[in-house]
Amino acid sequence: MLKAMLRGLLAHKLRLLLSALAIVLGTAFMSAAFVGGDTISKGFTEMFSQINENLDVQVTAKSDAPQPQGGSDIVTAVVPKDVADRLETVDGVEHATPQVISDGARVIDKNGKAVPSTGPPRFGIGWPTGPGDQPLVVMREGQPPTAPDQVAISKNLADVTGYQVGDKVEVITLQPRQPFTITGIVGVSEDRDSLGGETYVMFTEPRAQRLMLGRPDVYSNVDLKAKPGVTPERLKANVQQVLGGDYEALTAEETAVEQAGPIETFLNVFKIALSVFGLLGLITGVFLIFNTFSMLVAQRTRELALYRSFGANRQQVLKSVLVESLLLGLVSSVVGLIVGIGLGWLLKWGLGEVGGNPLPGSGVVVRPIVVVATLLAGILITMLAALLPAIRASRVAPLEAMRDAAKPDKPLRGLTITGLAVLVAGLVLLVLRGSKAVDNNLLTLGLGSLLVFLGAVMLAPALSRPITRFIGKPVDRAMPGRLGVRNTGRNPRRTALTAAALMIGVTLATGAGLFASSVKSGVTDLFQQDLNADLTLQADFSAGPTAGFDPALQQRLQAIPGVEAATAIRGDTVRMAGRDTVASALDPFAAQTLFSVKAKAGEVRALNPGEVILPDGFAEQAGLPVGQSTTMRAARGESKNLTVVGIIEPNQLVTGPIISEQDASGFRSPLAQQAYVKVTDESQVDSVRQQMNALVANNPEVSVGSPADQLKQATAFLDLLLLILNFLLGLTILVAVLGVINTLLLSVFERTRELGMLRAVGMSRSRVSWMITVESILISLFGALMGMVLGTALGIALVKILGGDFLRLTIPWGYLVITLVAAIVVGVLAALLPAARAARLNVLQAIAYE
Amino acid sequence: MTPAARAEEVWKVYGQGEAAVQALRGVSAEFDRGRYTAIMGPSGSGKSTLMHCLAGLDTVSSGQVYIGETKVTGLSDAGLTKLRRDKVGFIFQQFNLLPTLTAEENITLPLAIAGRKPDPAWYKTVIDTVGLGDRLKHRPSELSGGQQQRVACARALVSRPEVIFADEPTGNLDSRSGTDVLNFLRDSVRRHGQTIVMVTHDPNAASFADRVVFLADGQIVDEMGEPTAESVLDRMKKLDRGEG
Repeated sequence: MLKAMLRGLLAHKLRLLLSALAIVLGTAFMSAAFVGGDTISKGFTEMFSQINENLDVQVTAKSDAPQPQGGSDIVTAVVPKDVADRLETVDGVEHATPQVISDGARVIDKNGKAVPSTGPPRFGIGWPTGPGDQPLVVMREGQPPTAPDQVAISKNLADVTGYQVGDKVEVITLQPRQPFTITGIVGVSEDRDSLGGETYVMFTEPRAQRLMLGRPDVYSNVDLKAKPGVTPERLKANVQQVLGGDYEALTAEETAVEQAGPIETFLNVFKIALSVFGLLGLITGVFLIFNTFSMLVAQRTRELALYRSFGANRQQVLKSVLVESLLLGLVSSVVGLIVGIGLGWLLKWGLGEVGGNPLPGSGVVVRPIVVVATLLAGILITMLAALLPAIRASRVAPLEAMRDAAKPDKPLRGLTITGLAVLVAGLVLLVLRGSKAVDNNLLTLGLGSLLVFLGAVMLAPALSRPITRFIGKPVDRAMPGRLGVRNTGRNPRRTALTAAALMIGVTLATGAGLFASSVKSGVTDLFQQDLNADLTLQADFSAGPTAGFDPALQQRLQAIPGVEAATAIRGDTVRMAGRDTVASALDPFAAQTLFSVKAKAGEVRALNPGEVILPDGFAEQAGLPVGQSTTMRAARGESKNLTVVGIIEPNQLVTGPIISEQDASGFRSPLAQQAYVKVTDESQVDSVRQQMNALVANNPEVSVGSPADQLKQATAFLDLLLLILNFLLGLTILVAVLGVINTLLLSVFERTRELGMLRAVGMSRSRVSWMITVESILISLFGALMGMVLGTALGIALVKILGGDFLRLTIPWGYLVITLVAAIVVGVLAALLPAARAARLNVLQAIAYE
Repeated sequence: MTPAARAEEVWKVYGQGEAAVQALRGVSAEFDRGRYTAIMGPSGSGKSTLMHCLAGLDTVSSGQVYIGETKVTGLSDAGLTKLRRDKVGFIFQQFNLLPTLTAEENITLPLAIAGRKPDPAWYKTVIDTVGLGDRLKHRPSELSGGQQQRVACARALVSRPEVIFADEPTGNLDSRSGTDVLNFLRDSVRRHGQTIVMVTHDPNAASFADRVVFLADGQIVDEMGEPTAESVLDRMKKLDRGEG
């Protein structure tokens, strides 16, 4: 029996192909995310192990410095020289190489600009001089630096800037730009310029200590080589014993894992995000597969009834349909996995190309768990989609073999009532959250949105006919258009399911679009509400966390004629009252004018060392009233005691503690990142701007701008995020389009005779095509409209529920219009193949078709 | 006056070489205006093929086919479509109504496709003849088989084609409904001068026609005027015995 049924299955190749394609796309996306991510991470881990070849154990100072979000490669905890010297004598140590390496060495190019970074660190390194010391890089050309005014730079820096050995170059470090002569070019190995796009500037060791670590006679780490026969673990234990708890010793292997850590974290986010979109694609495919199997079962009612009359029982029929779906899922998932592995490799290659630097490692990593997960997801989702049609198939009575297969539509009442109930339940949950009656976001927002969505899907069949009739009005006048409109309403369940697939993607895109535009207008409001500045100084985003300008510039800004108020802002993550927060050194007096800072308690005035002004929220959470003392620990240096002199009203721009410039001495960077300037009179903006430009003319990392520029920069990021999201949602849209094609092909197939008749009584090919296209556009528009309404509703719910000052409900009309137009285009495209099929039908055969 | 439809030395060969089947072997026939012609013959005689070729639904291997003044042979698909739209009406064995349209909309479908309005007087005549009364607003699924086929007949009539081709129009009907439909067709010839060419293998159906053309093995072997069910049956029996 199974064999016979499988033959029946193969008779519908094209339809199965579309279902299979949907699964292939989803599983390929999923597996590509994991294979790509795993391959990249293995490459990095391997590479780091390679780098650590010359060391068995690495010793660093334990750092409990407050870390900014996303971590930092700027070394603040150091190993003093005496500790490094002591390591040489530890039992089992063959040789100890003390190293100086930290982020923040910026080379000025021939145009006077700092060479930007897209993210990778720009290391400044000391060239080790001790006998037997192992440098971290290899010389490619020239000599290592031997004098304080000499540097060697990495090959990628030389390539970008065009500098050669013998050229003069300026480098910004913890200190402002200093002149050097290039004595050599280095790489991480003979054939690699860098590990992942990072750059190197090699100084002499004493110079590197001052420039990169800020102090003489300290090291960022000490690399130990074990004596023959001593394992790294043994050596680690010995070192730990001698140095105690202030220092950390890691074996080479552990170091590699730690070095790869940040990349690993990023890759994990990347993998999960991408596979979520793959899963969404698969879920969208459920609708398509459901339609296909429903149709297959309906078409084979006679055949199934025949089996039943031969004595096959229900379970056998059920099983056979499920086995069909299992096979379909298996084959498609395997193909998807193979495609995904290819895509994963491509992804790694592509990322390397985009970064301008091939990613390390070779080969492809396919973890067994990824194979299992991909196949399971593909197969289970296919079988889930086929379950209902399979049950329906098993209910076919033997008698139906004799009866005409034509069955009236099942009434939609039950489905509609259930849908309404589910929708209302979802809305109730959202309202509960909105009225703060229930605080659980997952239960209310998550489940509520899901129920609203499911309810809408169930209501869709009942809505499909009236809505498609209505939006079909413009084409209802002429016959082919009218037939297209009526055909759309012919099988409401199928139309609705097809549209629902499109609805998933459109709902998410619309919801996200609405949220993004609400954030944008909210942020804009806030920015404009509290900010009262005309000009800004801003360290370039690409210049990295260490870029900026001398905070002393503040006085010179304030001294410019026509300036009413000006302050520089120097911020860094500190630990205050046990909390990691971003503290800023700025002029509190100017902040009153520039940022609308208002005292809530105590006073807002210029701060002396040892004083702090707190924002209201922080003061409350930390329990710090005016007059109370607390401790602050910056990245470098010791804890300080600070006394609260003022508490300010909640402010959009000043959200962390304000401290004096003197107390900011322990920040990672000695530089200020931003400055805001207000002029007395608008006509002076230009002259003040010129003066500001002159002040920073010598600083390639800082530019003069306006608050509007800043705002544009901030919102451009949102736009980019939305663009990426829409791009990823493209997968679900693609699967939904496959669904539309599938449904139209089913229609053409089922209505072959009708099409033949229409052609026989004189309908031209192009009009037949138009008829199909109308149906396609209506289904797409219906799905898009439902998605837009739903997405807008859920987006509004989200904005209302999350509330917050950074959100102002803004409906992105332009975006919605684009979505509608896109739906029409999608409809036209989806109709191409089915319409061509319908138009090409042989009239005679079509009429004779049973 | 030119005949409504005409075939000249029409050959139709399916397949090639050894497997070639000659469905029509040099058929020449004229179908006069205002006449009701039945084409009869045993299964495989080529009667349906002849009709399809005459109606421009199928191409001929050689020979010529004319509908009125129009030479059908050699027309492009667009030309054939226009010909079918303007000059030919069809009645099928399976009524082939569109389930999404009402009876009335089905009747006017060919005009709607052509973008024309029905001539009110003629339309009223057709509607009255169909005799559906208040069921005109019903969907095909709510009509009986006979009613559906009468709607199909009205659909063929409404655009006043040069010729209506009917392919076994009573094949799917019980005898009473069948007789209704045949009467309807004969009336449209008698009263309104419509030309009808009907393929059938039912002698009773053929007896409604003015003239019967007999086909066997792809050739016209005989014809008969003023047929009765008995005379047609006799002739058919001979054909079945191969006595051409």
